[in-house]
Amino acid sequence: MVFALLKYGLSRHYPARHQFPRPRELKPSYDLVIIGGGGHGLATAYYLARDWGITNVAVLDKGYLAGGNTGRNTAIIRSNYLTPEGVQFYDESIRLYKDLSNDFDLNILYSERGHLTLAHTDAAIRTMRWRAEVNKHFGVDSELVFPAEIAKLCPQLNLSDKVRYPVLGALYHVPGAIARHDAVAWGYGAGAATRGVEIHQRTEVTGILREGVNGTGGRVTGVVTDRGTIKCGKVIQAVAGASSLVAAMVGLKLPIRTIPLQACVSQPLKPFLDKIIVSGSLHVYISQSSRGELVMGGSTDPYSLYGTRSTLDFKEGLMMHMLELFPYLAEVKLLRQWAGMTDMTPDFAPIMGETPVENYYIDAGWGTWGFKATPVCGKRNAEMLATGKVPELIAPFSHRRFLEFKQLGEKGAASVGH
Amino acid sequence: MKILNCPLNGPRNISEFVWGGEVRTHPALDCSDAEWADYAALENNTAGVVREWWYHVPTAYWIIAERDTVKDVIVRTYPARELFKDRVVFEAPAKQEGR
Amino acid sequence: MTTSRLPAPAGALLDRAKPITFGFDGRSYTGFEGDTIASALAANGVGVLSRSFKYHRPRAVLSAAGHDANALVQIGAEPSVPADRRRIEPGLSVTPQNVFGSLAHDRAAVIDSLGRFLPVGFYYKTFFRPKGSWKHWEKLIRALAGLGKVDLAAPHGYHDKQYLFADVAVVGGGAAGMAAALEAAEVGAEVVLIEENPRLGGALGYARFDPEGGHGASLMAELAAKVEAHTGITVMLDATCNGWFADHYLPVIRGTRLHKLRARSVVVATGSYEQPLVFRNNDLPGVMYSSAAQRLIRHYGVRPGTRAVVATANGDGYGAALDLLEAGVEVACVADLRPERSDGALADAVADRGVPIVRGATVTEAVPQRGLVGIEAARVARITGQGLTTALDDRFACDLIVTAIGYNPTTNLIHHAGGRVSYNEETAMFEVTWLPETLHAAGSVTGTFALDAVIGEGRRAGWSAARDAGFKVGAAPAVPNDRGQRGVNHPWPIFPHPKGRDFIDFDEDIQVHDILDAIQEGYDDIELMKRFSTCGMGPSQGRHSSLNSVRLTARATGRTVDETGTTTSRPPYAQESFGVLAGRSFEPERLTPMHHRHVEAGARMMVAGQWYRPEYYGPAATRAENIRREVMAVREAVGLIDVSTLGGLEVCGPDAAEFLNRIYTFAYAKQPVGRARYALMTDQAGVVVDDGVACRFHDHHFYVTATTSGAAAVYQRMLFWNAQWRLQVNVTNVTASWAAVNLAGPKARMVLAKICADVELSAEAFPYMEVRQGNLAGIPARIIRIGFVGELGYEIHVPSSQGEALWDALMAAGQEHGIVPFGIEAQRLLRLEKGHIIIGQDTDGVTHVFEADMAWAISRNKPYFVGKRTLAIHEKNGLTRKLVGFTLKNPADPAPKESHLVIRDGQIVGRTTSVNGSFVLGKVIGLAYVAPDQAEPGTTFQIRIEGGRMIEAVVEKPPFYDPGNKRQEL
Repeated sequence: MVFALLKYGLSRHYPARHQFPRPRELKPSYDLVIIGGGGHGLATAYYLARDWGITNVAVLDKGYLAGGNTGRNTAIIRSNYLTPEGVQFYDESIRLYKDLSNDFDLNILYSERGHLTLAHTDAAIRTMRWRAEVNKHFGVDSELVFPAEIAKLCPQLNLSDKVRYPVLGALYHVPGAIARHDAVAWGYGAGAATRGVEIHQRTEVTGILREGVNGTGGRVTGVVTDRGTIKCGKVIQAVAGASSLVAAMVGLKLPIRTIPLQACVSQPLKPFLDKIIVSGSLHVYISQSSRGELVMGGSTDPYSLYGTRSTLDFKEGLMMHMLELFPYLAEVKLLRQWAGMTDMTPDFAPIMGETPVENYYIDAGWGTWGFKATPVCGKRNAEMLATGKVPELIAPFSHRRFLEFKQLGEKGAASVGH
Repeated sequence: MKILNCPLNGPRNISEFVWGGEVRTHPALDCSDAEWADYAALENNTAGVVREWWYHVPTAYWIIAERDTVKDVIVRTYPARELFKDRVVFEAPAKQEGR
Repeated sequence: MTTSRLPAPAGALLDRAKPITFGFDGRSYTGFEGDTIASALAANGVGVLSRSFKYHRPRAVLSAAGHDANALVQIGAEPSVPADRRRIEPGLSVTPQNVFGSLAHDRAAVIDSLGRFLPVGFYYKTFFRPKGSWKHWEKLIRALAGLGKVDLAAPHGYHDKQYLFADVAVVGGGAAGMAAALEAAEVGAEVVLIEENPRLGGALGYARFDPEGGHGASLMAELAAKVEAHTGITVMLDATCNGWFADHYLPVIRGTRLHKLRARSVVVATGSYEQPLVFRNNDLPGVMYSSAAQRLIRHYGVRPGTRAVVATANGDGYGAALDLLEAGVEVACVADLRPERSDGALADAVADRGVPIVRGATVTEAVPQRGLVGIEAARVARITGQGLTTALDDRFACDLIVTAIGYNPTTNLIHHAGGRVSYNEETAMFEVTWLPETLHAAGSVTGTFALDAVIGEGRRAGWSAARDAGFKVGAAPAVPNDRGQRGVNHPWPIFPHPKGRDFIDFDEDIQVHDILDAIQEGYDDIELMKRFSTCGMGPSQGRHSSLNSVRLTARATGRTVDETGTTTSRPPYAQESFGVLAGRSFEPERLTPMHHRHVEAGARMMVAGQWYRPEYYGPAATRAENIRREVMAVREAVGLIDVSTLGGLEVCGPDAAEFLNRIYTFAYAKQPVGRARYALMTDQAGVVVDDGVACRFHDHHFYVTATTSGAAAVYQRMLFWNAQWRLQVNVTNVTASWAAVNLAGPKARMVLAKICADVELSAEAFPYMEVRQGNLAGIPARIIRIGFVGELGYEIHVPSSQGEALWDALMAAGQEHGIVPFGIEAQRLLRLEKGHIIIGQDTDGVTHVFEADMAWAISRNKPYFVGKRTLAIHEKNGLTRKLVGFTLKNPADPAPKESHLVIRDGQIVGRTTSVNGSFVLGKVIGLAYVAPDQAEPGTTFQIRIEGGRMIEAVVEKPPFYDPGNKRQEL
């Protein structure tokens, strides 16, 4: 309750303590090194410490906490995926998300809004029904709805048939939510640090030490950083945007293309839009944050780039379509645009689990859907690292599937990134 | 908006082009499955100067560009024939008759 | 706030002959043409423009330049309009934002007194217990957050776009920008000079450079006259360059138009943002920058107060003091933060006017009027150390506090372009340390404040930019050594007060201790501090908060400002409306040559990619009946469908057959001339991506069709491969050049015979899967005997210009046979009866050939085709699903819908992809993916239909209709 705020008003000194103590030095050795201090890395550290008591762990990040895609995404959480593997995986993530504020003692502003994926073609209607059926099979609350119902759920949408691509239907996903992305990472980081995990910001991994490399992947023994070399038992990389580069340090080649995804926000507005709206055909998604900003994005950039520059074309295209759905927003002002670097895989599903290198694990290929997977990744990565067994929930996402041409079918659902 | 200098059409907005990914070397037909997967499924995803395919949509023309994927700078562009000079022949497997 | 209009020459932007009446907060006011909303209100004695984001404190003009959120107001449906930039128009109705009640009596103002219970990031600290309670709290927080309001009935309005080109673009029309433009234009460069204000001049138009006060204006007039007279310079006023994008692509917004300006080189002469002095209640109405006071006086002829205290750390404060004195404002005191006397003429002039000057002192508190609507007095105390003052202070009664403690360069565009800045501890300024090639900067954006140096630097930048743009230039213009960087910025203009309300960020109501508290909690990286505290995240995007918050963070963490760094400035530079970005919405539409015939015939058109195609003909109310009529016509008589949207590709050359052999799965080398053959395309992953028909008209010439949505990609893919294979073949996409129809039904031959003189049509002469060229009703045509719908049929391709004529001729010829035009829906059913798949409906993004049960379409006798190797791997791996035909075991069961799941033992094993009720067969038929061991005909499997009910289906090998395929071969 709000009594939590009393101490701030009544105490003489600011009563909060440091959440992420900065250890001065790296220890010579850790049981486990997590490369990447974003949501996935910090969540992995948190569950390792909380659920398995493994705390001799270092999280290394070349920048600041959650400075990559964790802090750049549009914070949409949903589980309305197409494949059984995807639905079950993200469903667990949502269940974990719902408890996070209380687990952390930090409000992640998790806000269940309902999520509408609009269909503008009959082919899209078929895909939406497919997703709805798979979702329902696993108890996930998704339904195919048609314009009369959409009008009730979201009267703010332009449902006229006098537009170029009229809305024919939508996948309505009741648990669709948004949250404060940074807070998720901070909560995990603070929770891990409190339990003894060391978080080293501004510490860049420049190499990975292996032994027994002889035509095989060998075994990992340590990590070289710009602050010195450390020995370690196991290593997991969770470095969206730089996955191929870090994996290359152990000779691992990935099926990933690094492609920017741009987003933007409007000036803060009084609340008028509750639902999260996505249109694959129009390459648009939008939600209104608790601060009142409209948080918006579209599809990924047209070519690969290891950079986060913005483009004019992105927002021109986005706004053209945005105004088709919300014509009355023409005078609303855009405040800021930015970009993140996404790991796009050919089958729009992640790469998780073991690698051909012993003791080296991967958490990559998160494309435009990494934020929503943060809790389940952390929990299952931790289980894998602690037990040495790959949990069933993440087994389908192995790197090996690409070598065997056994791609997952998620592509059918992810026509727009977010 | 970047400008890409098409060897056929001169400098054009990059929005007129479609990115075709890294130029790869097709393995021999008797390559191993692993070599095939490396070609057909995996990506170098290089950070730095990469040789890439680009397609100018209005004139339906594939070109090769050398692009710095970190600096977002196009270093050089040239026609594909500079790299692919000769007719590629796929030999029929030995047990089969050629045409 | 008591103010009044000043006589000319004050108010240079006003046309006093043109009074304008407008409304604000329910009352009517009159200003002059040229007034901003804020200046007109100030002239009417209205100070308070808004309430602040968190504490709902009254706020007024701070920068008078659109650099803060204090001045944001709502105009009709337009939220967050900067009132200090938007000019008044007759009848304008302006309302305040974020007030509960009225601007004067805001019920939410009570939050200000609860402030200490609302620490930085307070919403992270509570509202979640018990679990789920955030749902309720969020409503309250959301209602309190946000500024402007959205009006769901607001009109879209008109916006458009224009491309512009320049050799040199100069952003900023102040002294530096004008000098740069002139220098570049002199050597022949075409220059576009972009200025966001209504006139050129920048600081020359409002700042004071000499005790007499005339130097700026005369220099401005001289430069502006030269610029305006120069034919090589296009001046864009009231135009904002809102970003820098790759290769000098500049969005310039003027009114409702977005100009996309492409330049060869760019000069950034964007000046600098004046920065606030931090003290208690520094947010009150009546506290403003020196530049704001001067803009009010000189631009708008508004006296900003009656009695002022000036706090300064540079000459501009003295300049402002002189302006105030001239405007009839009594200056109670000048507090100079610097201990030593360092300013020459301007300070002397102030002293000569008898104004008390206190050195080494600062304003420590603005004493508020009741309700915080203005100030009553300023407390001034001696500075004893960094951010420290004596406890004893002097109280000066005043209604205006003017601050001049320094600037932060307007480096937004430089950041967008990848330029770098670094903090110079000596000058206490961020300075540009690196610029990308062909980008130049001049004036105070580079930290240069001495007027001669500003102009010299402008000339140098214009010279460099012209050189970069390819112009021959002479010797580089000289830049005076003294750039006037010293004595501009005070290194520590932050005087925290024990009682707080010492604001760093006015937009977000962030005080000094908020930043320190955030750091104490561990958010000690500048980026984390910003994200946790929201400092710099409001509408002004750190314009006034960035510098001081970085200084605070640096000190609190024991790092230098440079080590601490700044947060990244991202586009846009200033807010921009969605409408201006969207422009006029251009969405391409493709119509077939027969489109109007369909519309005339009452077709309901549906979207198919960029195309429109008839779904069916007739009223929506009788949809099922219409489709049935169309289907039965094809089965029993003859029907005609427009298939012009199919892709058409000419493949010509000695290697044409070899090329198709590599592109498609089938074999084409031995295909005889005059024959058609199915063409199935896979990608390197073996995934089915397109299909069509390859017609051989010559040894070296194939005409290949592709799917409606796949045509462009197929063409692109063909060219891609041949760019590597170098086969002797030429591929042309002729989709738009050909119109096509499919004439199908038992009477098709009779219809065709009526308009065909030169092609022998008998079954023997022109059998199934053959192609002919001839004339139909005098129209040259390619005729292909294929049967997607399973009847005797002809796909007829004619030049697009003749498409409508062909349609008319066939409809006329078919009249006696009962010809009926049919649409997509009928065709879908007809083809399903034959078991033909539709790529993209019966396949998905990972379906390979074996899953689609199309192994028959693979030629195994050729060494290579795209996808062959991976298909071999798939074949070795075995199947996980297979596409089969099915009917329902119990005909009384409801038909499943497309995409209903196939379930076995509680597991999903597949789904239906096509389902329809067949009129001729009198049963439901469909295609579905099932487990491989369920694929044998006669096998029963389960489909979960609407409502979760399970029904049983039986595998039946297609075709469902005419299994012997006799009818299409008639």
